[in-house]
Amino acid sequence: MEQSEMVKQKDYWAKSACKMCIHSCAIRAHVVDGVVVKIEGDPDNPSNRGKLCPKGLAGIMRLYDPHRVKTPLKRTNPKKGTGVDPKWVPISWEEALGTTAARLKKIREEDPRKLLVAINDFHRIHIWGWGAAFGTPHYFSTVGQYCGAAYHPVNGTLDGSFAAVNDYDHCKYWIQIGAGDGFSSHLHVAASIKRMADARVERGMKLVVVEPRMSSGASKADEWLPIRPGTDRAFVLGMIYVLLHELNVYDAGFMRKHTNAIYLTAPDGNLLRDERSQKPLVWDLAAKEAREFDAPGLALDQVALEGSYLIDGVEYRPAFQVMKDTLQDHTPERMSQVCSIPAATIRRIAKEFGEAACIGSTIMLNGKEYPYRPAAVNFYRGALGHFDGGLDSMAMKLVNLVIGNIDVPGGHIGVGLDHRLLIIKPGKDGMLEPQPHILHPPYAYNEKPYSYQLMEWYPIGIDPGHLTADNVLNPEKWGFDFQPEALIIEHSNPMWNLSATNKVAEVFKKLDFIVAIDIVLNESTDWADIVLPDLSFLESHLLVCIEPPMVTGHVYRRPVIEPLYDGRDATDILSELAERIGFLPNWNGLLNFTTFLTSENHLDPNTRYSNLEITDRMAKSIYGPEQGLAWFQEHGHSTRLQTPEEMYLPFAAQGLRIPLYFNFVKETGDELARKMKAAGREWDTSSYLPVPIWRDRHPLHNMPAEYDLYAFAFKECQTNFSESTTIPWIDEAISCMPIHLGVMINSKTARGKGIKTGDLLKLESPFGEVTGRASVCEEVHPECLALSNGMSRWSQHPVGKRQVTTHFNKLLPAAVEWTDGMTGHLETSTKVKVTVISQ
Amino acid sequence: MHYGMVVDLKRCVGCQACTIACKSENGTPPGVMYTKVLDQVSGEYPNVRKQFVPVLCNHCVNAPCEKVCPTGATHKRADGLVLVDHDKCMGCRACYVACPYNNRIFLKRGKLKSGYHGKTMTPYEAVKYKEHQDGIVEKCIFCSHRVDAGLKPACVQTCPADARTFGDLDDPESQVSRLIRSRGGVQPLSEDSTEPSVYYLS
Repeated sequence: MEQSEMVKQKDYWAKSACKMCIHSCAIRAHVVDGVVVKIEGDPDNPSNRGKLCPKGLAGIMRLYDPHRVKTPLKRTNPKKGTGVDPKWVPISWEEALGTTAARLKKIREEDPRKLLVAINDFHRIHIWGWGAAFGTPHYFSTVGQYCGAAYHPVNGTLDGSFAAVNDYDHCKYWIQIGAGDGFSSHLHVAASIKRMADARVERGMKLVVVEPRMSSGASKADEWLPIRPGTDRAFVLGMIYVLLHELNVYDAGFMRKHTNAIYLTAPDGNLLRDERSQKPLVWDLAAKEAREFDAPGLALDQVALEGSYLIDGVEYRPAFQVMKDTLQDHTPERMSQVCSIPAATIRRIAKEFGEAACIGSTIMLNGKEYPYRPAAVNFYRGALGHFDGGLDSMAMKLVNLVIGNIDVPGGHIGVGLDHRLLIIKPGKDGMLEPQPHILHPPYAYNEKPYSYQLMEWYPIGIDPGHLTADNVLNPEKWGFDFQPEALIIEHSNPMWNLSATNKVAEVFKKLDFIVAIDIVLNESTDWADIVLPDLSFLESHLLVCIEPPMVTGHVYRRPVIEPLYDGRDATDILSELAERIGFLPNWNGLLNFTTFLTSENHLDPNTRYSNLEITDRMAKSIYGPEQGLAWFQEHGHSTRLQTPEEMYLPFAAQGLRIPLYFNFVKETGDELARKMKAAGREWDTSSYLPVPIWRDRHPLHNMPAEYDLYAFAFKECQTNFSESTTIPWIDEAISCMPIHLGVMINSKTARGKGIKTGDLLKLESPFGEVTGRASVCEEVHPECLALSNGMSRWSQHPVGKRQVTTHFNKLLPAAVEWTDGMTGHLETSTKVKVTVISQ
Repeated sequence: MHYGMVVDLKRCVGCQACTIACKSENGTPPGVMYTKVLDQVSGEYPNVRKQFVPVLCNHCVNAPCEKVCPTGATHKRADGLVLVDHDKCMGCRACYVACPYNNRIFLKRGKLKSGYHGKTMTPYEAVKYKEHQDGIVEKCIFCSHRVDAGLKPACVQTCPADARTFGDLDDPESQVSRLIRSRGGVQPLSEDSTEPSVYYLS
């Protein structure tokens, strides 16, 4: 129904899309006399099937939050600082946009790089590049830090996916490492909780959860294996050792057919290629000679996976053999020393995992035969949000690759960022083209850095936005010869979500002008000069589809009521600013790309388009001329279940292989090393390895002995994303949950330190300190402190504030030395010393 | 007809979607939760067991609250729902004391004058608080308004884990009866002979 018709009704249900986390579950809102009285999951949606998580259900309280920004605001208190009242006064849109455009226009004319940008609304990825269109390359936000700088590029390199999750419908042995899938977070949680519960209870799937804190998932698991933070890779490498060196369990058929495991590798780690064709060579056991991998008549079962072959006096080994040899010293005993899980447990889990994989078996789906590997390791940020996180990610992929479960029923399934699903394009060497940059194109290398987050030196990374603060404050370190003057924020909260909070505050102090687009005030807008009110998700239009596992299509976010206040859609605000500042053609050009517009729907460079018009063109570009916005207004959503062909072995359908041996990573690192050397720069490229190994030189595990406890932050289903921590219903619900109320410390550790529940503690890392109330418990590793994000807020918003603010990010660093060399992921755990302030 | 609920503790992941769905459906004021999920931890590290236990009014067959109610405000419907007639309740709180499950809530006088943001009522609260009355005792009503309209209670509708099932305990073929039979449903504090209509599966 058309918008104007719908809202005229007295009593109706309006379908829309949730935005209480970064995903986009389908919802419907009940409106009576113009008031939203209930939000439920959309029962017709094949993903969440009417279900909704606590955050989504609480969306009403965000819509009607009296602390929403209702008009454009101007700061009248020139003094800025934490806890300082900005003394907001309402102003007109004309004044707000006029002032903002004038300030930013001047900067753009002088040097656009003086503008910092924190535009990271995950539902509106199409506007992230506003800064680039303006002419500034900086990200002053946590794009890669709290998402997965070390996750997404490795997924994309493996199989063109953005995310991944195990196959809920067929998996029978699920190892979950540092992830919330099926319980608390990631990939449409309301839908995945149901799938996971069905697998656990109806199908009797075994679940093993590996993490330092007993999360919701570990509580429901058959086994919880507490592990030392930042050592998950050691656990899985120990498993791989057992599978390959003790049990001889691996899927040779999958490796030969679908991976580069057979490609011959030279002693220097590079692939052996035919001199003329440059194609990788494999060893033909029958012919006893090296042949091109795709040589006509080559029988795959006669291609060597193992062994060593002398060619012209040089020994070459298949990549599988190289991987196996590389890990020959990763014994369970040695890995146990690193990760604290007993060697016997590593052996047992590896054996169970190998047996559950049913290597060799197949399954018929829709009349087509697929390999059936109902065992898989699932993982996310807890496992890889670390220094060497790229290697963590690769190790988790490798343990899955060994049993041949990538993108097959029962196994580890790639998930696309959006309706494009996995991006399957032919690359070189018969391989799938690696896709480490699905979010936005890479930054070109330059000898002299140009982005504060140094993206140009992380060729397969994702925006290490945490480096911005360090580089603004220490420009001489890498040779920045400009200083920032202004910051534009859209639906992001760098003051709260970046690491090294005190450094971030120093950067905010340096800035002359801050403009923020948001719907509520937060820790960052407290420092703003102008705040522009966005429309809330229940008041705006968008086609959205964020990381949908098992389904595809778009959900249509539509206003379920007329906007309550004088807000404007963020896309419209940014378009108008682009026009006023004078870069509308650049902006429209970017939107053509980011909203997938086909040529007949391209925007005219010099016309300003409304968000509605852009959405209509996007719909027509993706679904055809008949399925524009009007279609979505009538039908609601276009979501459907993915077909088996879309989910399973999509790369094989195009005859492409995926890496078991990550030579792409090595080659990228080698090239970066060459460039950096030529530039005379010291830059650590030692983590760009083709095979993940454990490396003892890890800053987290080599901190001075006085910092004797690991510390990390966690979230659960109620508190994922800052959006929910200022919602009173959520606040009330978590006030019944001890895990959200204090610093979790193991009872034995607490006894040893004389700490009791309720004691006021000081936690000091080398980078900062926080105070917090002790919560003595059993659900955490004895070497660790666990801190919920439910006690981290301090903004002017009155909901969610605790008497003692325990903001974990203050304890974290922000420097290159604490950043994963391969992917730019920050080390997100730290170590602290604890003292009791008062009992 | 005897409505009851089965709560599968194996399925429940403690997400509190039920808690929030209940708040949103019933528009309860601050501090009033008809249902919530308790965290229960037992054992010693590393042999720890954690369970999430949703609790709500058990709509007992032999409801102690009904027996002690001096005005007949607390009454049992033919379909098993134990409800409180707002007009008859005088707020004596005998039921509050009698309930062995601590599942009744007294709304102090003036409780409905402010919402979650103090005196500034949101449009939602302004509408929903009209369904409540201060100075009386409230509790989970199995979403009687939804049940009467042929719908499931809000907590059941939303539960992402499908941990809550609602239906007719008198019908041996209903999903609730089959679950109780096949999985061995247990009533809370059954030794008190209250005969709860809520069963737990573990």
